[in-house]
Amino acid sequence: MNWRRFLGTDTLLPYLLLLPTLAYLLVFFLVPLGNAISLSFWGEEGFTAQHFLGMFQDVKFGEAIKNTFFLALSIVPLQLITALLLAMLVNTRFRGSKFFLYLYALPLGISDLAAGLVWLAIFTQHGYLNSILMALGLIERPIYFISYQNVGLTFLTIVLAEHWRATAIVLVILVAGLQMISRDYLEAAEVLGAKRWQKLWYVILPLLKPSLQSALIIRTIFALQMFAVAIALGGEIVPVLAGESYYWYSSYRNPHIASAYAVLLMAISLGMTWVYLRFLRTRPEVTRL
Amino acid sequence: MRSVKLILAAVLAVGLLAAGQEITWMSTQFVPIEEAEWVRNTLLPPFTQQTGIEVNFLGSEYAAFVDRLMAEHEAGQGTIDVICGLHGDFSSVLPTLADVSHLLPTIPGTLPPAMVELAQMGGIQAYIPLMQATYLMVINKAALDYLPEGVDIWALTYDDLLAWARNIYEATGEKKLGIPAGPGSLLHRFIHGYLYPSFTGYQVLAFDSGAAVRMWEFMQELWGYVNEAAPTWDAMDTPLLTGEVLIAWDHTARLKGAIVERPDDFIAIPSPAGPMGRGFITVLAGLGIPKTSPNPEAAAELIRYLTSPEAQVAILEGVGFFPVVEEAAGAVPPGALQILAAGVSAQAGSPDAIVSFIPGGISDEYKKIYRDTFTKFVIRGEPVDTEFLRQQATRLRELYLEAGAPYPAPDG
Amino acid sequence: MNFRVLRRQTWLYLGASLAAFWVLVPIVFTALAAFTPKQDFYLWPKPVVPRRFSLDTMRFFLNTHGVLNSLLNSVWVALMTLGLTLGVGAPAGYAMARFLFRGREAFRLGILVTRMFPTALLAIPITVNFIRWGLYDTLLGVALIHTAMALPFAVIITTGIFLGVSKELEEAAMTLGCSRLGAFARVALPLALPGLAAAAMFTFVISWNEVFAATILTVQNRTLPAQVLTMLRVSPLYFRFAGGFFMIMPALLFMFFIRRYLFHMWGGATAER
Repeated sequence: MNWRRFLGTDTLLPYLLLLPTLAYLLVFFLVPLGNAISLSFWGEEGFTAQHFLGMFQDVKFGEAIKNTFFLALSIVPLQLITALLLAMLVNTRFRGSKFFLYLYALPLGISDLAAGLVWLAIFTQHGYLNSILMALGLIERPIYFISYQNVGLTFLTIVLAEHWRATAIVLVILVAGLQMISRDYLEAAEVLGAKRWQKLWYVILPLLKPSLQSALIIRTIFALQMFAVAIALGGEIVPVLAGESYYWYSSYRNPHIASAYAVLLMAISLGMTWVYLRFLRTRPEVTRL
Repeated sequence: MRSVKLILAAVLAVGLLAAGQEITWMSTQFVPIEEAEWVRNTLLPPFTQQTGIEVNFLGSEYAAFVDRLMAEHEAGQGTIDVICGLHGDFSSVLPTLADVSHLLPTIPGTLPPAMVELAQMGGIQAYIPLMQATYLMVINKAALDYLPEGVDIWALTYDDLLAWARNIYEATGEKKLGIPAGPGSLLHRFIHGYLYPSFTGYQVLAFDSGAAVRMWEFMQELWGYVNEAAPTWDAMDTPLLTGEVLIAWDHTARLKGAIVERPDDFIAIPSPAGPMGRGFITVLAGLGIPKTSPNPEAAAELIRYLTSPEAQVAILEGVGFFPVVEEAAGAVPPGALQILAAGVSAQAGSPDAIVSFIPGGISDEYKKIYRDTFTKFVIRGEPVDTEFLRQQATRLRELYLEAGAPYPAPDG
Repeated sequence: MNFRVLRRQTWLYLGASLAAFWVLVPIVFTALAAFTPKQDFYLWPKPVVPRRFSLDTMRFFLNTHGVLNSLLNSVWVALMTLGLTLGVGAPAGYAMARFLFRGREAFRLGILVTRMFPTALLAIPITVNFIRWGLYDTLLGVALIHTAMALPFAVIITTGIFLGVSKELEEAAMTLGCSRLGAFARVALPLALPGLAAAAMFTFVISWNEVFAATILTVQNRTLPAQVLTMLRVSPLYFRFAGGFFMIMPALLFMFFIRRYLFHMWGGATAER
């Protein structure tokens, strides 16, 4: 039985199978989304751009958009590199590699709320890191890792915490992708005398492209929405878009501007996803998304 | 799942038969677990014994409190029978509230008329006053070693505070002053109820005055001695306990944890005074009934119980909130809470007091106006820009105009 | 073993251990903190390994009103979410894996788009509807929202799982007289089961950790994170750590159970056989 005939007999079946998901998302996603989007464009006198103007004029808007971008741009590539290194390491199948893999995957189960809590306890002035540095005699006085005077360092603590929390998902996707690469290709490359980096660059990476694409898209979407960890460690020092949206809603009780922020976030996510799909093109059958 | 539900239903049914009614009390006060546990285990059982009404106490954050009441109101049916919140919390949920003026004659204690009047909003008696709280300073006794000569901590000024914090910094190299400036903090209260009245005499009218410019420049200087992590702090009890700060300002509920944990280490003192006087906020918390309350009668019963002089004294002794009914005035809490009470009394009785109220009935955006100005001039340290101050002042007045609300004391 | 191999091995284990250390340290800190006596929380400098252990913090946390109840609620919500998510999402995953059809790409992207909007803001319009439908403050209501959040992942993951199950086997069963459904039930499903179990656990974890929707949609029937969050800002440090510990531990346990299938989830199954 070939693909064509298969398709011919089952034209309707795939749509029927998709139906529950589509119906579900219609009720629980599209309808509320419509509500939220209309909140951002509608005022008392109908359609208005005033809420978006309000957002652009927000004192914290510029900083929030800058931080959100820089956080995503520094966290995601770092995660990709770490995960790729770890995935290659684990894929050598050394003794105990399965055990290590399990350890690396652990943060997958940890919520951002809990992660923020732990990392704050590490980086706060009288926290674990300063205690250890003091005990080792490396410093005489605690360092302010989280400080309005040192936004860069504060930013770094967020990058580290988020890297810790969310690299596992990238690792899992990449390991799964690596496992699907047939050994034959690698052996063929070895026979042809390829060096290690050549194998990586010309064989592994191209074959890993679908997995890389999945990981990139998923992580970028979530990095842009990062909230709990950034708030716990960055507070008012490193404001982010998702946080501003949340506070406009919960503290300042303006759902219109809150929605404008959320719509902007969605637009950015869509834009980034388009870029990834455009520049990391893969064959549809092998894409995992 | 089904069997569990059945069992639950059976338990509930038996419970209802035995106890009569169950009501849900949602509150933005008594939220810290120790307080909530105290409400459940100590404050409420006598009420249930007297009336047979079971109370399900539910601590809630401000945002969830407003969301839930608004959603229940919009849907036209509710689960919440009675609510407790601050004056400002009630003004945010005004459309959802039932008029409780008919309860006033039945309140067992004597409520001061000024408070009853304050609790009237939008043409109704929005809530029945329950208790008072304030914001003040708590200091670690270790900070006294660095107190500048001749300074009286019970009559501190902002200049004294600056000199004190500078002394500590010069002696230890550490910034030990604490102001809660995190996203979930009550920083806006510090700005509109403490700084502005102390430096300009008003919280709205002099927003962009010359005195305000001098105030922001003072804050820029003071900020140099504030712990650098302050913009991440929502409450000051933890930094006080860890020793990251020695002097801190915050709401009593957010400082109390430190005093209760280590009563021998801390003293509560009045907030500082500025050129115009000692600005501070008196917060009134109260009890109200949503229009959608399933059991308004039982809710009223609970309100009467909580405003009885005995319950009022119990609240002071148990969790340190000050009574509103005149019969309970003058009661002193035992133990650690006495330290807090001493500070509150000293602040309330200070000769140069400028009492501020929390704005009511206007958009919550006013908080952002104060906070954004702080972010710009203090956290980011940009030069004080009078043009920006003027814009913010205009916006602030617009908010009052739009809502038709009066300026709160000391302005109005 | 010659010298070069030995050196390579050493580097290998060194690197692997270093990464493991990085992952484990914060988890260990949380666990240690949860068993530290109250007073020791505020010591400075902090002893890296606590001087003494105590169950007081844990006991206090568990005895706090509503904590045990919310723990149970969390389990129920997560179980319902898991059932709903796989029930609704797995068929779509199967369709994505088996058929090339018009609109496939659009669906693929549409699924992704649902995760691009901050969920906290979506819970608000839903609240009003839930009150009308009688779902407000019910565990089912929370599970319904969690399902909406987990569904995109479920579709993506199950697509991977079914891609990993050979299509030829199913086709063979059909030529041997099995119906389409029979072939799926007897051939594809058993082979996909480990992967589906892993997907289920993953869904469980998503629900277990979700906090915003659960906070907004419930009054009395709180899940654990919602319960902890309400108390978080105004709770003493030791209480927060006990809460953190309780949120982390179950998640770690589930990771342990699914460790073997984790990679089936993302389609790594074929090569492993």
